[in-house]
Amino acid sequence: MALIEVQDLVKRFDGKEVLKGVNVLLSEGQSKVVMGASGCGKSTLLKCLNLLVAPTSGRIIFKGEDITRPGVDIHRLRQDIGFVFQHFALYTHLTVEENITLGLRKIRKMKTAAAREKAAFELERVGMFEHRKKYPAHLSGGQKQRAAIVRALAMDPAVLFLDEPTSALDPQMSREVVTVINKLYLDNITMFCVTHDPFLAKYISDSIVFMHEGVIVAEDIAERLFYEHDDPRIRQFYLSVIDHR
Amino acid sequence: MDAFLQDLIHYSPQILAGLKNTLLLMAVMSIAGLAGGIGVFYLTLGKNRLLRWGTERYISFFIGTPLLVHLFLMYYGLPQLGIRLSAFAVAVIGFTLNVSAYNARYLMTAYNGLDKTQIEAARAQGFRFGQTFRLIILPQTLRLSVPSLTNQVIQNLKDTSVAFLIQYPDFFAQMQEIASTNFQFLKTYVAAGLVYLALVSVIVAAARRLERKTALPGLETLDHA
Amino acid sequence: MTFWNILLILVKGAGYTVLVTLASIGAGLAVGLLLAVLSLVRWKTVRLLLAAYTYVFRSIPVLVLLFIVFFGLPGMGIRIPPFFSMVLCLGLVSGAYLAEIFRGAMAAVSRDEITAAEAMGMKRVQIFLYVIWPQMFRMAVPGMTNEFTSILKYTPFAYTVGIPEIMKEAMSLAALTLRGLEIYLAVGILYYLIYKVFVVSFETLEKRFRIPGLAGE
Repeated sequence: MALIEVQDLVKRFDGKEVLKGVNVLLSEGQSKVVMGASGCGKSTLLKCLNLLVAPTSGRIIFKGEDITRPGVDIHRLRQDIGFVFQHFALYTHLTVEENITLGLRKIRKMKTAAAREKAAFELERVGMFEHRKKYPAHLSGGQKQRAAIVRALAMDPAVLFLDEPTSALDPQMSREVVTVINKLYLDNITMFCVTHDPFLAKYISDSIVFMHEGVIVAEDIAERLFYEHDDPRIRQFYLSVIDHR
Repeated sequence: MDAFLQDLIHYSPQILAGLKNTLLLMAVMSIAGLAGGIGVFYLTLGKNRLLRWGTERYISFFIGTPLLVHLFLMYYGLPQLGIRLSAFAVAVIGFTLNVSAYNARYLMTAYNGLDKTQIEAARAQGFRFGQTFRLIILPQTLRLSVPSLTNQVIQNLKDTSVAFLIQYPDFFAQMQEIASTNFQFLKTYVAAGLVYLALVSVIVAAARRLERKTALPGLETLDHA
Repeated sequence: MTFWNILLILVKGAGYTVLVTLASIGAGLAVGLLLAVLSLVRWKTVRLLLAAYTYVFRSIPVLVLLFIVFFGLPGMGIRIPPFFSMVLCLGLVSGAYLAEIFRGAMAAVSRDEITAAEAMGMKRVQIFLYVIWPQMFRMAVPGMTNEFTSILKYTPFAYTVGIPEIMKEAMSLAALTLRGLEIYLAVGILYYLIYKVFVVSFETLEKRFRIPGLAGE
């Protein structure tokens, strides 16, 4: 069953069309990655889907409900979507554990003890339990991103959105994070990820969507998209990003 | 015509004399305070430990105690030692000591943010410390502190109103006297407030110009206000 | 009369000095927070009013304001007791400065973290309570300390409206004994001690709540 269905999504910023009629489908349990050069609109697409950015036109159906209609409970919607940011966006004034329990206590209205238990369980999964009392300033980039993933996951969202989760990391730390997301992938967590990192894309996706200048050019599994497609835009993109590794 | 306005016109020579005194005091303490601040800042960079400690104490004491206390100490205290200073002299000395301490603190903060390798470079090039201070350190710290230093000038203007408490015939002293003869306290004091407002506006405009003129690429100014 | 005796007499006024200071800090914080929150409103009239407020209260000397409130307002039938006049004036003035400090600190809260809170589904109020304010207060500590000590240093003006704080006690004593030198020296020392106590308590408080990566400069 489709969890998210995007129909003819258009987004204009000051007259410039960033998304030019995008159609995507994400099923429950599926993991989909959106790739494309910077400025192709992939991040905007992701932010439209939880209404951090308001779409100009088109429809987004989430769990059978059109969320672009006026009067949609935007907070309820966002509580159902976990979001992982490129620059981690951990709350500076809270420890790792508190970063995770804040949403559980204040939004999910869990008791502190139960929230802590939940946080401990999730932290254990990504090997961050021992760092739970540390503040973000004392973590490495890879640790920060793992904590941020746990923060999103602990809320038991229907889907996890990842916006360039490895782009701010060096190769070593990036690998650390890819391993964690790959584990989630193997656990059949529904994911929607935006990246230009082919290494990440390959290990966490059921299928990859390629975007170029606001439109979807192709959708396929990693091996075929990278190695067999002869669309010059895809070949050029792949060559440009593969150099970095 | 409104009786209050007539009063103001009637007393205008007195008011203008007060205004002149206020601006004079402000100008003197701003200039002396800047010079004093630079001097004190220089001392804090010195090698002599005792001198540095003394300077730190001086800054800390003047920043930590009310201006009015310094003025009263000199105005009502010194005569006990046979030293009688005029209200103007007390105001100038007291304010200058006070303002120098603040200005020195601003310059120290700016200095802490400086790239110290420049100073090493200057020493390595063979500049003596005095030259390094004058040619490298001071131009940069002064520029960085322009907002704080000009805020201090605004503070100085406002602080001159305190001088009337030691019988210095400044602008506010005159307004106070007028109020006690015409009993129009509210109108008179509000009028006084508006005059300060206007004077501050002039300083703010001048400060903006100064800031633009002294701006240097790579030296973002600090605001300690 | 020894220097020690003088200090003991003046200490009686210190209670009022501290009381005026603390009450004014409370008033200033209330005004400052209110203005800082209002500054987030995008309505043009509000912005204009806020700018005007800041401008007026940062330009008029505290002493002049105190005279307007205490000697001027009764002309309009508004009579405010000395203590409250002093607290009102210091609250209004320090509120203008504190609002700027809070505004700056709020602006320094990472935009990413606010987006993260939005993405998590937090409401505006929740974002303020749990993400922005805890960080704002910590980053505002140096500015707040500065402003609070400035309030302390304005309190001697209270003698002009007859509050029996340190300065008033000192003036009566000086008129009686003609020993201004020792008396005002003692006043200076007393204020310095209070100042030090204030600064040290704020530092202790700041250390107690300090978080790595979140310093007020």
